Amino acid sequence: MGAPFDISYVFSFLPKLLTTLGTTLLIVACSLLSGVLVGFLIALPRLYKVPVLKTCAEIYISFFRGTPILIQLFLFYYGLPEILKLVSVDVTRTPVLFFVILTYGLHTGAFMSEMIRASVTAVDRGQVEAAYATGMTSFQAFSRIVLPQALGIAIPVFSNLVIALLKDTSLAFTLGVMEMTGKAQTLGSISQHFIETYIALALIYLVISFTIEKLLLVAERRLLRHEERSSPAKRMFRLQKNGSYRRIIAELGPGKGGGGL
Amino acid sequence: MIKIEHLSKSFGRHQVLNNIDLTVTKGEVVVILGPSGSGKTTLLRCVNYLEKPGDGEISIGDFRLNCKHARKKEIHQLRQKTAMVFQQYNLFRHKTALENVMEGLLVVKKLPKEEARNRSIALLEKVGLGAKLDAYPSQLSGGQQQRVGIARALALEPEVILFDEPTSALDPELVGEVLAVIRKIAKEGITMIVVTHEMGFARDVANHVVFMDGGVIVEEGTPAEVFNHPREERTKQFLKRITPELNYSI
Ligand SMILES: Nc1ncnc2c1ncn2[C@@H]1O[C@H](COP(=O)(O)OP(=O)(O)OP(=O)(O)O)[C@@H](O)[C@H]1O
Ligand SMILES: [Mg+2]
Repeated sequence: MGAPFDISYVFSFLPKLLTTLGTTLLIVACSLLSGVLVGFLIALPRLYKVPVLKTCAEIYISFFRGTPILIQLFLFYYGLPEILKLVSVDVTRTPVLFFVILTYGLHTGAFMSEMIRASVTAVDRGQVEAAYATGMTSFQAFSRIVLPQALGIAIPVFSNLVIALLKDTSLAFTLGVMEMTGKAQTLGSISQHFIETYIALALIYLVISFTIEKLLLVAERRLLRHEERSSPAKRMFRLQKNGSYRRIIAELGPGKGGGGL
Repeated sequence: MIKIEHLSKSFGRHQVLNNIDLTVTKGEVVVILGPSGSGKTTLLRCVNYLEKPGDGEISIGDFRLNCKHARKKEIHQLRQKTAMVFQQYNLFRHKTALENVMEGLLVVKKLPKEEARNRSIALLEKVGLGAKLDAYPSQLSGGQQQRVGIARALALEPEVILFDEPTSALDPELVGEVLAVIRKIAKEGITMIVVTHEMGFARDVANHVVFMDGGVIVEEGTPAEVFNHPREERTKQFLKRITPELNYSI
């Protein structure tokens, strides 16, 4: 299809695509932020086993996990205004970006809640009891004892989620959002050098994913530095002994296998 | 003085503690013995409200708590007057030995950092860990971790320290060092309630021995009374099983 392959286009497309990097990162950042908030809200009733809310949370998670992100985007973008019209709220002037962030936020929130729940439960109950026995309030016990450890445990999963989200944002172009993939489509159509645009696009996604992964790895090392042991042999031993800790990560690892596509 | 009155606790329909009465005078070391499942751990956990008792009263000095109608603030007060040393140590894994001991002083007692630090260092030196201040629990042996646990309990200057089988998760060669530390602080007049299967320790250190079975206190008295002249059949059988070398006439 299109014009003959010419590698120089890859380089000339890179800066053009990067002009829309901001939009992509904006979607990622806003969705992550709302995702973490939603994730906490959804995780709480499950952590505290609140009867009815717990079931609602489970249904919510099933929906966002069990349906393709593309369908979710369409449902929110085309469906939500129709529903809101029934209660005479007019959202036709609301920017597309809002619906995109809303969908990705709610979608990531479902996965975040699973991550939060698993990480919090991975911190052993005994430490919480020790905190209570020391006279800490439940808030102090959570914020000072559970949270710092849960963060470290959550990071590998979090890292996967961020990268999956980054890749999922490439679907926002279907609603006409000019983020990187949308821009690539346009550049491809104009120049007829589709392959070159996609190579450039893939390169950018790859670099960002790689950077995110490495940064979060550093954060994980820092947060879990207390689990580092002097010799690797001893470390292996500990990992086996303290099974619950790592097994949860292993279970969660493929949590968002393959992303939304 | 610590007074536990008609304390009861059930898990579902299973009554684990049945009308327990126990008085511990200041500076006394009370050792609780009993077969597995007799409710020893549950009793200790009720005393600092890690487990909510079904009924009963706990008083420590002038402080009095009705277990059934305890308010949050009262539970908080009770927990400040007690400290617990756990079978599995339960150290805060993301904190160093020093930080583990300081945590309660900073967060609960709200001491200035410098003072908390100095006091914690002194306590860790007392339990023989002056050289391990900055080690994380994962870098310490079980015996060392448990000694940090004891220092952490001491730091809060509680009215009573509750020990739940402090040495039973330890390798045999590490038991001695932990018992030595407990002996040492017992001599300093710290009130404690200790659940243990270490009979030698119980004989030497206890002022008062309590034998529990099936959620009730079957027999109590001085170590000499309980170990040498047990009155109850269940006590005799238990002692015979756990120290077969001593011949109790049954
Ligand atoms: N959270 C719980 N839920 C239900 N039952 C429990 C719970 N905790 C303890 N029990 C039951 O209560 C009884 C007493 O348990 P407890 O742990 O107090 O015994 P113990 O005397 O400490 O035994 P051990 O010497 O084995 O530590 C046991 O039958 C146990 O199964
Ligand atoms: Mg027990």
